[in-house]
Amino acid sequence: MSSAVLELRDVSKSYAGSPPIEVLKEIDLKISEGELVAIVGPSGSGKSTLLNMMGALDRPTSGEVLIDGTVVNGLRDPSLSGVRGRRLGFVFQQFHLLPGLSATENVATGLLYHGTRGRARKAAAREALERVGLGHRLDQKPGKLSGGERQRVAIARALLGDPAIVLADEPTGNLDSQTTAEIVELFLELNEQGSTIVMITHDQDLTRSMPRVVEILDGEILDGAAAEPDTDEDDAL
Amino acid sequence: MKKLRSRLRIVDVVSQAVRGLTSRKLRTALTALGISIGIASLIAIQGITEANQADAKAEIDALGSDFLFITPGTGIGEEAELLPYAPAMLDTHIDDLEHVAAIYTVDARARRNELVPEVQTGGVTVSAVTAADLDLLEPVNGSVAFGRFHDTTSVEVPSVVLGSLAAERLGIRHLVGHPTINISGTNFAVIGVLNEFEILNTDLNRTAIIGLGVADTLFETPDNPSAIYAQVPPEQLDDVRDIIPAQANPAAPGEVAVSRPTEALEIREVIDETFARILQALALIVLAVGGIGIANIMVISVIERRGEIGLRRSLGATRKHIASQFIIESTVLSLLGGLLGVAIGVSIVFGYARYKDFEAIIPWFWLSVGLAAAFALGALAGLYPAWRASRLDPAEAVRPAA
Ligand SMILES: Nc1ncnc2c1ncn2[C@@H]1O[C@H](COP(=O)(O)OP(=O)(O)O)[C@@H](O)[C@H]1O
Ligand SMILES: [Mg+2]
Repeated sequence: MSSAVLELRDVSKSYAGSPPIEVLKEIDLKISEGELVAIVGPSGSGKSTLLNMMGALDRPTSGEVLIDGTVVNGLRDPSLSGVRGRRLGFVFQQFHLLPGLSATENVATGLLYHGTRGRARKAAAREALERVGLGHRLDQKPGKLSGGERQRVAIARALLGDPAIVLADEPTGNLDSQTTAEIVELFLELNEQGSTIVMITHDQDLTRSMPRVVEILDGEILDGAAAEPDTDEDDAL
Repeated sequence: MKKLRSRLRIVDVVSQAVRGLTSRKLRTALTALGISIGIASLIAIQGITEANQADAKAEIDALGSDFLFITPGTGIGEEAELLPYAPAMLDTHIDDLEHVAAIYTVDARARRNELVPEVQTGGVTVSAVTAADLDLLEPVNGSVAFGRFHDTTSVEVPSVVLGSLAAERLGIRHLVGHPTINISGTNFAVIGVLNEFEILNTDLNRTAIIGLGVADTLFETPDNPSAIYAQVPPEQLDDVRDIIPAQANPAAPGEVAVSRPTEALEIREVIDETFARILQALALIVLAVGGIGIANIMVISVIERRGEIGLRRSLGATRKHIASQFIIESTVLSLLGGLLGVAIGVSIVFGYARYKDFEAIIPWFWLSVGLAAAFALGALAGLYPAWRASRLDPAEAVRPAA
């Protein structure tokens, strides 16, 4: 049986206000090693909030988040940061590349907080860039790269340090349809090579090629079966 | 989970800070400028002051002994006059005085020749010496640039010795062809020109010195000396100084002014010192304002770089890592400003020394104070921005700007 690399148990998240806004409602979700999961839902449905919970970027109001079988929501900042840096990889809609650094240097920051030496960081970065098909763009600054290339750099950075799971929040949100298809293709390839990936999108079309789709609406997962990965949910769409 | 600690190498802390600064070169340069100016001023002011003082001290030391300058004082009326025989009195009654010499102000105008209107004296004054005071150059610490000083014959005939500035104004550059100048209608042969008085008795630079005998016959000349110069061994100075007035003007000793020209130099030194301290206080204020400027820019930087902070948090940066990044960035920024300031300050010190032909003195103390201040200010200026950056909620920071 494949082990869960990430699990949400009864996770709720409310933001302060009167009345408080309950953005996530008792979410149960399990992601197993080697999965590629699309989380889809309309804007404002709570997808990013969900990803923040999965990525230990924020703490749930109630419930538990388990990464590699360990409950992380009680951890203090240094341990929590350690989990993010060592076990998780992030890809964001707006790339978050540092403008002054070359592609290689940007990717190398993926190991910066591992205490890895600069040389080893760069070597790993070059390798990751080859993997995402940017072996010919190693020394370019982000300003000289196209949107698709920038996102590939960000994906390479997320792959560094061999994370248990890569979390991507609307990675194609700033890209045209052609490039979007290429990035989705890249995720499929990486998944085939063994990476566990969660991709968030509001675009139903993108989920067609995805092995598993979790639909979210108003902070709730629509299909109860989605919490368990091993069944075939294609007919749910 | 124990192995999952984030770690950031010290060299990376620094190199990240440097990268952060070099990717914003113009802003970095402009922000560091306040610190640079503050530190450059701190060093330049001290360096220039020290060079001036060292020069003045060297000159005072070179004089070797002390000089006294005796004048009638500021009182009005006859009582304030030095007695006509005061120089002789001083010479005979005060053993410790060496080289006593008096000069008499002559009411006459010096011109190059008859053709120059009499009003155009070029600031040249005329004074006279007696045959008894041919050693005048000793107590005024003067020397002859070319030609010679008066002798027993020259003081009895129309001949003149010029101060350096007087010579310049009257157009006397050499004695070839026996130049003359015209003093109130009589031509005087120029027999010598003095070297410039640089620190003491600079009044003599613009004086034309003629013999008292000639002056008496040709012009209106007072019987009372206008000033007496004397040289004293430094250890006798205070004793001698006290008894001079009674000899110079027994009727009104209180009117006699006895001053030490070197004292004026020493006072100037103290004033320079005070002035330097005031300027340095201003430089320190500039430095502090520079520090505030850095804090200001760093706060803006934290706001602008929200996304970067979020990204770093997602890459494993702890709060401390984020805080250290901003503190180090601010410190490096300030130190860069400091180093630039040191370079500018030291260049000014060297430039000034070269211009004045002094020896350049690097004010190591103030250089260290400046750099230490830059370091401390940078770290201090980074504290609040660093705290803000580290408090940013990671989820908040990675969220796309609204
Ligand atoms: N920090 C916050 N404070 C208050 N409300 C928030 C906060 N973050 C998100 N929300 C609200 O939660 C809801 C879900 O947001 P989000 O998870 O970003 O949705 P999605 O990513 O699906 O578009 C939205 O209505 C949003 O306004
Ligand atoms: Mg979103």
